[in-house]
Amino acid sequence: MLRPSGEFVQSYRLDTQIFRTRNTRYAAVLSLIVLALVPLFAGSYALNLLIQIGYLGIAALGLNLLVGFTGQISIGHAVFFGFGAFASACLNNRLGIPVIFSIPLAALATALVGLVFGLPAARLKGLYLAIATLAAQFILQDFFARAHWFSGGVSGSIAEPITIFGWVADTDEKFFYVLAVFFVLSLLLVTNLLRTRDGRAFVAVRDHYLSAEMMGINLRYYRTLAFGISSFYAGLGGALYAHYLGYVSIEGFDILFSIQFLAMIIIGGLGSVSGSILGTAFMVLLPQVMEWLTAALDGSWIDTTLHLNEGTAFLREMAIGLVIVLFLILEPDGLAHRWRQIKAYWKLYPFSY
Amino acid sequence: MSILKWTAVVLAGGYILASPALAQETISIGHLADYSGATSDVGMPYGQGVADTFEYINENGGINGKKVDIETIDYSYQVPRAIAAYKKWAQRDKVAAIMGWGTADTEALITFVTKDKVPYFSGSYAATLTDPVGDKAERAAPYNFFYGPSYSDAARALVKWAADDWKAKGGEGTPKYVHMGANHPYSNSPKAAAEEYAKELGFEVLPAIQFSLAPADFTAQCLSLKESGADYAFIANTTNSSVSLLKACETVGTDVQFLSNVWGMDEAAAKAAGTAADGVVIPVRTAAVWTDEAPGLAVMKEVAKVSDSSGEQYRPVHYLAGICSALFVRDALKWADENGGIDGENVRKAMYAQADWFPEGTDGVCKPMTWTDTDHRPTAEVSLYQIHVTGQPDNDLNKAIESGAVKMDKIATVELPRRDDWHGH
Amino acid sequence: MDGHLFLQLMVNGVMVGALYGVVAMCFVLIYKASHVVNFAQGELLLVGAWVCWFFVVKYQLPFYFAFPITLAFMVVLGILIQVVVLRPMIGEPIISVIMATIGLSIFLQALMKWIFGVSAQPFPPVFSKGTIEVLGLQVQTEYAASTLASAVIMAGFAYFFKYSRMGLAMRATSFDQQVAQSLGISVRQVFALSWAISAAVSAVAGVVIGVVNGVSAGLSLYGIKVFPAVILGGLDSIVGGVIGGLVIGILENLAHYVDRQFLNWGNLHEIVPFYVLIIILMVKPYGLFGTRDIERL
Repeated sequence: MLRPSGEFVQSYRLDTQIFRTRNTRYAAVLSLIVLALVPLFAGSYALNLLIQIGYLGIAALGLNLLVGFTGQISIGHAVFFGFGAFASACLNNRLGIPVIFSIPLAALATALVGLVFGLPAARLKGLYLAIATLAAQFILQDFFARAHWFSGGVSGSIAEPITIFGWVADTDEKFFYVLAVFFVLSLLLVTNLLRTRDGRAFVAVRDHYLSAEMMGINLRYYRTLAFGISSFYAGLGGALYAHYLGYVSIEGFDILFSIQFLAMIIIGGLGSVSGSILGTAFMVLLPQVMEWLTAALDGSWIDTTLHLNEGTAFLREMAIGLVIVLFLILEPDGLAHRWRQIKAYWKLYPFSY
Repeated sequence: MSILKWTAVVLAGGYILASPALAQETISIGHLADYSGATSDVGMPYGQGVADTFEYINENGGINGKKVDIETIDYSYQVPRAIAAYKKWAQRDKVAAIMGWGTADTEALITFVTKDKVPYFSGSYAATLTDPVGDKAERAAPYNFFYGPSYSDAARALVKWAADDWKAKGGEGTPKYVHMGANHPYSNSPKAAAEEYAKELGFEVLPAIQFSLAPADFTAQCLSLKESGADYAFIANTTNSSVSLLKACETVGTDVQFLSNVWGMDEAAAKAAGTAADGVVIPVRTAAVWTDEAPGLAVMKEVAKVSDSSGEQYRPVHYLAGICSALFVRDALKWADENGGIDGENVRKAMYAQADWFPEGTDGVCKPMTWTDTDHRPTAEVSLYQIHVTGQPDNDLNKAIESGAVKMDKIATVELPRRDDWHGH
Repeated sequence: MDGHLFLQLMVNGVMVGALYGVVAMCFVLIYKASHVVNFAQGELLLVGAWVCWFFVVKYQLPFYFAFPITLAFMVVLGILIQVVVLRPMIGEPIISVIMATIGLSIFLQALMKWIFGVSAQPFPPVFSKGTIEVLGLQVQTEYAASTLASAVIMAGFAYFFKYSRMGLAMRATSFDQQVAQSLGISVRQVFALSWAISAAVSAVAGVVIGVVNGVSAGLSLYGIKVFPAVILGGLDSIVGGVIGGLVIGILENLAHYVDRQFLNWGNLHEIVPFYVLIIILMVKPYGLFGTRDIERL
């Protein structure tokens, strides 16, 4: 960890500050301003991608809390995302709770469900736990299709747009601002959580659970709690997704989607808040970039000589798989690590040591 | 703030001024296809049909001389990718229409296309999305169109045929009908409609048997089917899953007349299932299949040459349906161009402009359809074909058809009433 | 009548279960040797089935000839995957390795769709007699034969691990990699071999299912279905994998029976294995036959 010279930490309180220097504080304010201006400049395509990164990023943040900070693997994150989506739509449609309140309530409900499925976590570790979450994936997916009162069954349910005192977030621009608020709040909450007693306990559980237990950390409590918090963010992301789309279908919250969440945090960097977001951006943009590439390939000499035709679609899918594998081989610590290295390079330039 | 806003306005203005220079000559169309995802087994022939047709249109003078700029995006049946593609088209290209595909993307985009007034020509024929007003179905879908009977109407036609077949065969007692499919929006779409109608026609409706959309071992389901004593079974999944089911049922030795959903069977699946697919009855959206004789097939064969220059490759029913959907869009674009210019609203009006119409030059292939601003059920007439498979068909579809090992025979054309209580269900 | 159906479903359960068992065994083999959780196991079935199909249909080779070629191909593929993808990942956290196998599965699936197309393809029948009757249930001859083959493969595995030199080396490696290495066992060879065997045996299962149901992308789902079986048996027990597979196969059919006769829920057979999984994990966190780690500081 590089620190600018002249920066001396004189107390524990100072050591855990989120924005330690004046420059980082300026940078934070500046990035908020940039965030606020984005909808003025970005077209709806770019805006949509940013919105996707937003709601998926919130959910990925939750998964990283579970996997990266407490070391528990979950292969069922997508169903919690889906649960949040359905719960919010259901709370709004059936009970008439305004959307702006139903979203956090849905996240809370998802947290409760997460706690229930996290119960095995009190007893299991590693792969056995991973497979228990796989079971959650299939059980909840089945529940969505079956529970007509909750999800509308296979025909899905309609989700009304977010309304705040008569102001309706029915366009991408308006939705972006609502999402940005939730996004920034989530980032702050997670970053803050990590510097509390609970946050340190999570990391202790991950690093050596026996030592952690000996130091008086209640393993069962923290392991289950991590599930709850992780599901909270999944539910929050899902609820936002539902009200963005206006409709939730039981399709899509499948194991492939869960695996994509895992890919996001692994590629971004386990145990890193910024990594979660970088990884999400990577996974959202990768198919788009591949799309451009295949579109560029379409009709070019490579296409015509090799008779690719629809083959480009498969090439793209293959490339996605390949990029994931190559990434893990070449950059196992994730994008966040690479980002730190780039920063360090500039700071130390021209002396690399 | 005001300075920033002005900058934004200037930038946006620059953007708008910069883009239409090219756009005057071309018409932008978006095409969502699934070539590599969960529904690629039927998404491939359909998507190829659509893509080939637009290339054919461009080679033959375009729309009143304007070229169609079609972008095909394979979204792998993943909703987020479909949305991203849609946003790109709606914003950057200002598309006049979108050729859509499955249940997933249609349902996800329906709110957006209604808001942005972009006609969406879907490959998903859910009856719930046939109400442009919104008083019959749960949701209004004024910009959703599709070619062919809705899933529900196709299933009703099959049920009606089954009732006639039962009488013709001299069956005694009440015939038994069973729905087989996954618990999935697509498979469940015609379930209630067909079961209600079956009851109306005097069938005994048995509890549905579930089998997954992904092919697996379905012996257990077939044993249940056999034990249930069903006489008619409706297969509601897509082709690859149907193949597994039919094979397992042949082995178990069920004695059931299978009926299949529109996307549940085609010639390639019949070839893959072999004799297990013999006798299956399917609704076909076109009035003819590839080997039939019809004047309109000449156009289809020209279209097929786009992706197969020899023109000898046999094309399954889904390919033909893809062509017809695309040609309907062609004629709608033409009408819009002549009546006020091409934009979403005019393309929608074009769909209503005539009744019982079919694309020019497709006589005897694309069936006449009628859309009105209160009813998007295009047709109530359903052609039924029966699949015949003898022996072990050759692995090459062309040879299998030529040798007569796989055959499609038209057995009935069912005319359903356009009942009001069926609208939207 | 119902008793008859029940018996038939049980026979079917054993047959399907035996196949699950074989795939589970392959999965455990890789895990035991190299501690890699292989999410691309299903794709190995898929590749095996397509390659065999290719030789039989496109090159018109007789099945008895095409099958060994397929196995040889799979051995090479298995080694290749291990060397290219997994060897560089040694020492990485378990989750990165999982992700690598997931990436691999995405890659292989798209590759197969590209080469062989998206629609299901039929396998010409292997035996002249299409179906035989087992305890009142009509089954395809290939299926019945596969149950026998599974039994042979399982016996082969038992012999291999008990008596052969390489098998003993593999067991030693799975027990403690460092100690094994210091005893002169080439851990790299052991890893490669485990992938080779696993790939080849998976291909056997893939070909059988392909012959019976037709070859299509759906084959790769067996890789997911096998998880409950593996966990039931215990991740690192080969016998456990086999028993787990049989139990899950029977359970699926039993659930289907209960569902049809009493509940009419529809898809109980798909979901029951996962409920059972949760219960097992609550009662026995290391599966029925898995080793319980005892950790010390």
